Amino acid sequence: MIVSEHWLRDWISTDLSATQIAERLTHAGLEVDGVANLPGKVENLVIGQVKSVAKHPDADRLNLTQVDVGDQVLEIVCGAANVREGMLVAVAMIGAKLPNGLKIKKAKVRGVESMGMLCSASELGLEDDSSGILDLDEDATLGGRVDEYLGLDDALIDIDLTPNRGDCLSVRGIARELRVLVDGDYHPLEVGEQLSTLSDTIEIEIAESSRCPKYLARVVKGVDVGASTPLWMRERLRRSGLRPISPVVDITNYVMLEMGQPMHAFDLGKLNDKIVVRRAKAGETINLLDGSEATLDDDTLVIADAKAPVAIAGVMGGQDSAIDDSSTNIVFESAHFTRKSAAGTARKYGLHTDSSHRFERGVDPQLPREAIERATELLLEICGGEAGPVCDSSTHDKIANKVVEVRFERLKQLLGMPLEKAEVTGILKRVSEQVEEIESGWRVTAPSYRFDVEYEADLVEEVARVKGYDNIPTTIPKIAPRSKVASESSVSLRKLRQSLVARDFFESISYSFVDPSDLMPFGDEEPVKVSNPLADNLSVMRTSLLPGLIKTAQFNLNRQHDRIRIFELGATYHKADDGFTEVQRIAGLVTGPLQPVQWGLDNARSVDFFDLKGDLEALLDLTGSRQGFAFQRAEFDGLHPGQSANVIGIDNGSVIGRIARLHPAVEKQYDLSTGTFVFELDVKSAFSARLPEFKGISKFPESKRDLSVVVDKTVVVAELMTAVRKAVGKQLVDLTLFDVYQGQGVGEGKQSLSIKLTLRERERTLTDEESQQCVAKALNVLETRFGAALR
Amino acid sequence: MDIQFESSLQAILAKALGDVAQATNPSELEQLRVHYLGKKGELTQQLKQIGSLPPEQRPLFGDRVNQVKAELAGALNERKIALDSLALEASIARESIDVSLAGRGKATGGIHPVTRTMQRIEDIFVAMGFGVAEGPEIEDDFHNFEALNIPAEHPARAMHDTFYVDSSHIKKTANNAHESHLLRTHTSPVQARFMLDSKPPINIIAPGRVYRCDSDVTHTPMFHQVEGLMVDEGISFADLKGVLTSFLQQFFEADLSIRLRPSYFPFTEPSAEVDISCVFCTKGCRICKHTGWIEVLGSGMVHPEVFRHVGIDSEKYTGFAFGLGVERLTMLRYGVDDLRLFFDNDLGFLEQLQ
Repeated sequence: MIVSEHWLRDWISTDLSATQIAERLTHAGLEVDGVANLPGKVENLVIGQVKSVAKHPDADRLNLTQVDVGDQVLEIVCGAANVREGMLVAVAMIGAKLPNGLKIKKAKVRGVESMGMLCSASELGLEDDSSGILDLDEDATLGGRVDEYLGLDDALIDIDLTPNRGDCLSVRGIARELRVLVDGDYHPLEVGEQLSTLSDTIEIEIAESSRCPKYLARVVKGVDVGASTPLWMRERLRRSGLRPISPVVDITNYVMLEMGQPMHAFDLGKLNDKIVVRRAKAGETINLLDGSEATLDDDTLVIADAKAPVAIAGVMGGQDSAIDDSSTNIVFESAHFTRKSAAGTARKYGLHTDSSHRFERGVDPQLPREAIERATELLLEICGGEAGPVCDSSTHDKIANKVVEVRFERLKQLLGMPLEKAEVTGILKRVSEQVEEIESGWRVTAPSYRFDVEYEADLVEEVARVKGYDNIPTTIPKIAPRSKVASESSVSLRKLRQSLVARDFFESISYSFVDPSDLMPFGDEEPVKVSNPLADNLSVMRTSLLPGLIKTAQFNLNRQHDRIRIFELGATYHKADDGFTEVQRIAGLVTGPLQPVQWGLDNARSVDFFDLKGDLEALLDLTGSRQGFAFQRAEFDGLHPGQSANVIGIDNGSVIGRIARLHPAVEKQYDLSTGTFVFELDVKSAFSARLPEFKGISKFPESKRDLSVVVDKTVVVAELMTAVRKAVGKQLVDLTLFDVYQGQGVGEGKQSLSIKLTLRERERTLTDEESQQCVAKALNVLETRFGAALR
Repeated sequence: MDIQFESSLQAILAKALGDVAQATNPSELEQLRVHYLGKKGELTQQLKQIGSLPPEQRPLFGDRVNQVKAELAGALNERKIALDSLALEASIARESIDVSLAGRGKATGGIHPVTRTMQRIEDIFVAMGFGVAEGPEIEDDFHNFEALNIPAEHPARAMHDTFYVDSSHIKKTANNAHESHLLRTHTSPVQARFMLDSKPPINIIAPGRVYRCDSDVTHTPMFHQVEGLMVDEGISFADLKGVLTSFLQQFFEADLSIRLRPSYFPFTEPSAEVDISCVFCTKGCRICKHTGWIEVLGSGMVHPEVFRHVGIDSEKYTGFAFGLGVERLTMLRYGVDDLRLFFDNDLGFLEQLQ
């Protein structure tokens, strides 16, 4: 809501400057976004009257004017098409410095000396763009200062109102609020009853009185819709952010800005018989003033005539009953629609109007009569005509105000500060005219416009707000701590992150919603759909973290980062029978050189499956049981069928994640480097942790034996290792594969594996003979189960 | 003693000492040792002539030869130490390196700046005794709105442009027939859930992802919040001020002051926006818009309607709640000037904020 300082000062007088007013409002919860100053004082800018207009001898488009500025008549060259004899204009005389920076000097225009300039609205800093010179109204005094006449030293205070303060959506509302906050004289507008000179009425039928407890209408006939809205009103509308349109519309808007009551005007001649406030019939349509057509549902409150809807109540009028250039007889509407009735209606039809904005937040139910009188007064003044009596079909003459009690003890406890009773009484009396002191505290009758005063806490806020939040002390509460050190039974998320960071990964965070086409390569799980996505590429919830990582990799490759090591830790989202499940996952992606470019290393080697597997194993090591996991060859959509594995939890054999190279087709699809590797783990099932347990250190020496065997390439090393472990038994304390070789010397389809057995007996030194037996056991199982030949 | 023998021993010793002094490496020394002191060495050979001496001279002669052998052995040993020391010096000289060359191996990665801030926020509140609570991101209308005193079509819902999700796969029952599901617009539903499950005293924070249907220079459709809640007997607005002052001073590691301004949130009353004194300037700058104050979070005393919805006696208990934007605090703390950078995940950006 933008409010003009000048307009506000008509309602309340205070010594505070506009900036001080803004500060006070901000501190009271009406946050001022900014104060924009109009140009301010402008010297040598006076009101003049054009005495004569003659063509410039040497320029078709220019006129020579004689302009009376009170104490002299000036000859001024003017290029505006709208200049005419008798026109009252803003004259910038020699020496004037206009708001747009232009300095007026004596100048020859096409050979004729011009003693000043006739100004347009934009040259005066009033509008961004305007055609022609500003046409001042009759009330402008010849020779008077233009800055005073137009109020050029006005300031526009832009207030970001919270939804609970609908009562401040008018100049009167802001003034009323200021009266609560600062000392100053409040000058309420006196609106008299407008004499009706006609007996014409219109029948009003309210079918939905709970949603529309008040509906007032008034017929005004003989209205000159061609009259022009006076400059002062146009300026006030414009400074409040509304565009002047036509006098009748301008008047309803003006009253809305002034008092807060949204109004509407119909063309009487276009209404059939009467006004009916009812629910729409499902499927009924209406052509709205914004040119759109709305198909209504049966929960929508409409204003209808005997035949069809003529307005969506409190939102927007219809085209078919609108005032136009030929209208002469009109009907004003000034009604109260409840907040509940208005709620959501505008949004349902994709509309948001000044009227719906106010009704949704609550308009003072006492306003309609005052507003219709005020609008009539302005209409008769500006457009002439004769008014009929106010037709009032209110079902509730008095809408009861809420009565709220606030206890003194509670007030002090909730704010945590000492207070004087008399001070509180004073504050509450500023808020409401009806404050009664009772034993426990106060009983306050909320003003009809304060919809936000409903609970005791609301009055507590009023007291705190008026007193100033700055005056509330600062204390530290005594409360039993709830924080606990994390359990060792699982690996903390921080540890997971740290582990990957230490291994040269960067964490990325991507949107939880993705493009469905980016999920497609990775399976056919039906993702959770966003019903109202911002865009198609953000329209489903991710079922995997991989698409986000791939997009991030792609983004970075396009920015010349060829070595990428990233991970993300976050939820994936899935449908469940009775709702949704969210699964916390950790996923990583690597591509490009294994090492950053540096001296002294064989550079250029790209990462491969086993580099990432090493990172993944390091992560799994955090659980304290490396042997608790197995990698099993698997095939997945979107991943390389020869370089993919499930990660299995040995305990229960369940799949806890996967590691793979992206399918070359997917790499190509996303312009990734050849050889992009990913892993994705379920955090909860992968990272339960084992407590470390001390088993004693053997004092006896260990003996190491190496074996190199040749087996078929199809032999799965992990199986072979497990078999050896099992065959040798507990004297084998460690088994390491230290070389894998395929190629010359081992034969087609074969591979050579070199393993190191570390042997030890816990309580004594192992004899040579025993070591030999262990090796024999290992060899035996290698030969019999895996067809191994000793190299 | 026989003069002839003595002079012969002297001559051998003199020659041997000369040789030792000339030796330039350990193997030469070894050769000399063998040559003089070995089984067939010159001095050992001298000892063999002992038989040709008269018996009374023999012990004397033996002692004398052993003396000379010991002297030579000492010289050999000294020379060896000297040579070793020279060799070490030479090898040290050879092994000298340019220590300014970069260390070898991988670089280190980094956590995302948003995570970094979340962890700091958590650490500060945990140190103040708060627990950490979590909840689902796909929420229902009740926990995200109704329980927080935001009934359907409340104008405040316009402040929360909500993403809804399709829940047509859920079997309809009498209880859920009208329930809509959405992406939580704040982490407040975690508070609602926590209060439904626990009794006061309650002191928790709820960090996490939240979603709003909004995207421009200063809004992303997903962002992170940390909300806090403290409920107990006698908790006051002054306590809220105290806890937030302590948090913000620790977070910015500055002796800053805070300012509360009345505001409106449906779930708190009284409500307050919280500003901190500008941490970047003393006279007004672009970041504080020349006001000296920076808005950092929203807060207030828990609304009695919220307590009613979650079954907590609002006569007995009072409490405060607050919510802060993690990205906003990250931007202020590390000088990030564009919100959208957080979700581009440009490695250049992540490296800078490592």
